[in-house]
Formats: sequence, structure tokens, C-alpha cells
Amino acid sequence: MNPQTEGLEDLFGTYVFDLRTSYRALKLNRFLWSMIGGTARERFLTDEEAAMDSAGLSETEKALLRARDWLGLVQHGANFFVLEKFARVARKTNLEIYAIMRGETFEEFLQTRRVPECR
Amino acid sequence: MARIIGGIGTSHVPTIGVAYDKGKQGEPGWAPLFEGYTPVAAWLAEQKPDVMVFFYNDHATTFFFDLYPTFALGIGERFEIADEGAGKRPLPPLKGHLDLSIHIAESLVNDEFDIATFQDKPIDHGCASPLPLLWPHDPDWPGAIVPLAINVLQYPLPTARRCYRLGQAMKRAIESFPEDLKVVVVGTGGLSHQIHGERAGFNNEAWDREFLDLLVNDPERLTRMKHADYVRLGGAESVEQIMWLAMRGALEGPIRTLHENYYLATTTAMTVTLYEPLPATVSAPVAELVR
Repeated sequence: MNPQTEGLEDLFGTYVFDLRTSYRALKLNRFLWSMIGGTARERFLTDEEAAMDSAGLSETEKALLRARDWLGLVQHGANFFVLEKFARVARKTNLEIYAIMRGETFEEFLQTRRVPECR
Repeated sequence: MARIIGGIGTSHVPTIGVAYDKGKQGEPGWAPLFEGYTPVAAWLAEQKPDVMVFFYNDHATTFFFDLYPTFALGIGERFEIADEGAGKRPLPPLKGHLDLSIHIAESLVNDEFDIATFQDKPIDHGCASPLPLLWPHDPDWPGAIVPLAINVLQYPLPTARRCYRLGQAMKRAIESFPEDLKVVVVGTGGLSHQIHGERAGFNNEAWDREFLDLLVNDPERLTRMKHADYVRLGGAESVEQIMWLAMRGALEGPIRTLHENYYLATTTAMTVTLYEPLPATVSAPVAELVR
């Protein structure tokens, strides 16, 4: 147990990305990370299934990606900073993903913000 | 000898870069953010630092989790700006300062800060998002940067205290460089925000204000806080504010705030601050009076 993060396992809606999670979800995160490369983006857009197969993803991970289940991916161990690279390919903005993870519509989420037009 | 003439704290929200590239500086939603950088840019234009040392973080762009350095110093004369999935930005490559970066690496390691070094690798929005708001870049940047990436993504992260001490070691490194250079130290990230999980969208302005006050007047207290404290108070990703402590460590001693702009619009409390070190003879309470 890392004393620096003690107690965070009980904090609402927060998933600490530590080495245990990183080790377990390394292939998924590597796949998401690869989206910074034009070739990987093209390969995914041409044939999603083949791209996921060659990345060695588990059936669970493939299902989460097919469903664009953003919260499920985070709960499974995806790091948000590589997830957002995949979001660009899936044509979602970060604000849209925050709304989805909160269980709100995009409009509902924007109403909770001080300056919704700052985007 | 090289000397540190000031410090800057700045958010590095990627949408700042997107808004900048799309020319949204004048839009009502964005103007309060961009206008907040104008006094800092003016100060830099007047002071003309040769180098800015950036304590920033890589967002799993240049480095991946299979080899993710706790501290990594960029060595070189030039750094490309990274493509993070949306293509290249219309900015010239960043200029490095080869001799200073090598000197800093030698000084830090001999000072028992066993950093990693990297060469010929791109730099992401952790540094590139705020930089064009600080320095003009047409046709080229007016000075060089020395980037130092800190792991704030994959736990275990360096402690708040370790980051502060890194800043102190950076000060020793800079001040032992024989060339007469004017250096500004920059800490990036924050302030309050959380961008993952059901708690995404969390902010805490009261804590942000307290953090800014403590950073100037009682940084020691910030170094005693655990990562869990930062996460609870400011949201999960606000833990990156430990990089501001590295900047503060490099300014060790009393400092004066020359500028502060706080703009919480959507999900991140976008902040920029400018500090000037005060002579060591001025005590902290006096430093407070002259603010």
C-alpha cells in the first residue's frame, strides 16, 4: 500500500492509476497510446476488429472499446491521458466524455459550468 | 554566472493550445484567459530571459507506461512539438540550450538527483500549451527552454517534498553555470480539476486560493501534504500542482507576486502567476507587506 494514496480507494468516482493497474491494463493503454500515430489511426478506422486483435486485447477490453464505454474503460484501467488520444479518433471531445462519465447529457453538464462557452 | 530572475506558474490545459491556434483570443469565453497572460508576456519581453526552465509533465505522449521516468531532463538544441492525436500544431520547434541542459544534468546527478535524460524527442502540451501565450514565436522563439518532465500520471509519483527539493537542486545547478544567463523557472499544471471517473468536473476555488497563498508564504506546508490530500482537495489531476513546488523550490526564500490571473471556466481552474525573488535580507513578513 502506498501511504501517499491511502484512503483514495474510498473516494467517489476516482480511480488511482498505479503500477498494479498499469501492469494489468498495459496492452489496452498501449493500444490507446498508439493513436498518436497516423498509421495506427488509419488502421483502426479501416478495420477496428483487426486493429484490436493485433493489439492482443482481451474480449472484455474489445467490448468496452466497441461500446465506446468511456467510464467502463477507466474503471477497467485505461489511463485518461491515453484514452483522450483514442477519443480524438472516435470524434469525441473531452467535455463530451466528462459528461458521459458523470452520467449527464452534454447540455446538463454544460449547465454545471461557470462559462460553458469557453470551449 | 547564470541567475534566476523570476518564476511563472501556469496551467497547461490542452484546449488553451487549441483556442490559440484557432484564434479565439478575442472571444468572450476565452478573452479573460488570454488577457491574463498579457502582463506576463510583457514582463518577459522587457526582462528578456535567455532561457526558461520548464517543470512540466508528459501526458503519455513522448513516454509510455512501459518506461515512464520519474524525472527526465531534455538535452538538446531543438525539440519538436508533439502530435497528440489531432495532428501537428502551427508552431516552430522549440529551441533548447545544449550547454545549460548538460550542465543541469551533471549538477543534478552529482547532487544525488538521479534523473533520466532524453534527446531528440517531442514535447507535448504540458509545455507547449502555455508557451505561445508567454513568448512570441514569429518567425522564431526569442529564447531557449530546458524541459524537465515529472511523472504525475503513474503512481508512485515523486512526493511534494521531493519536487520542492528538485527545485532547490535546480537553483544550485543554474547558479553554478558559468555563462551570464537570465533564467526564468516555470511550473505548469493545475489548478483544481478532475478529468476521469464520475467525479470528473470537480473544482474547489477556496482551495485554489489557499494553495496560491501558501505557495508564496508557506511552501513548506504544501511539501508536507500527501498526494491523497491534493486529490481530495483539488481533484485527481490537480496532483500535478506538485510541479509548481519545483518552481517554488528554485525560487527558495521570499518572493513577491507580480501578477496573478485565475479563470475557472469549464473544468480546470486556469491560472497564471508571475513571481520575483526578493533579496534574502528581506524577511518573509516584510515580503508580505510589499506585495
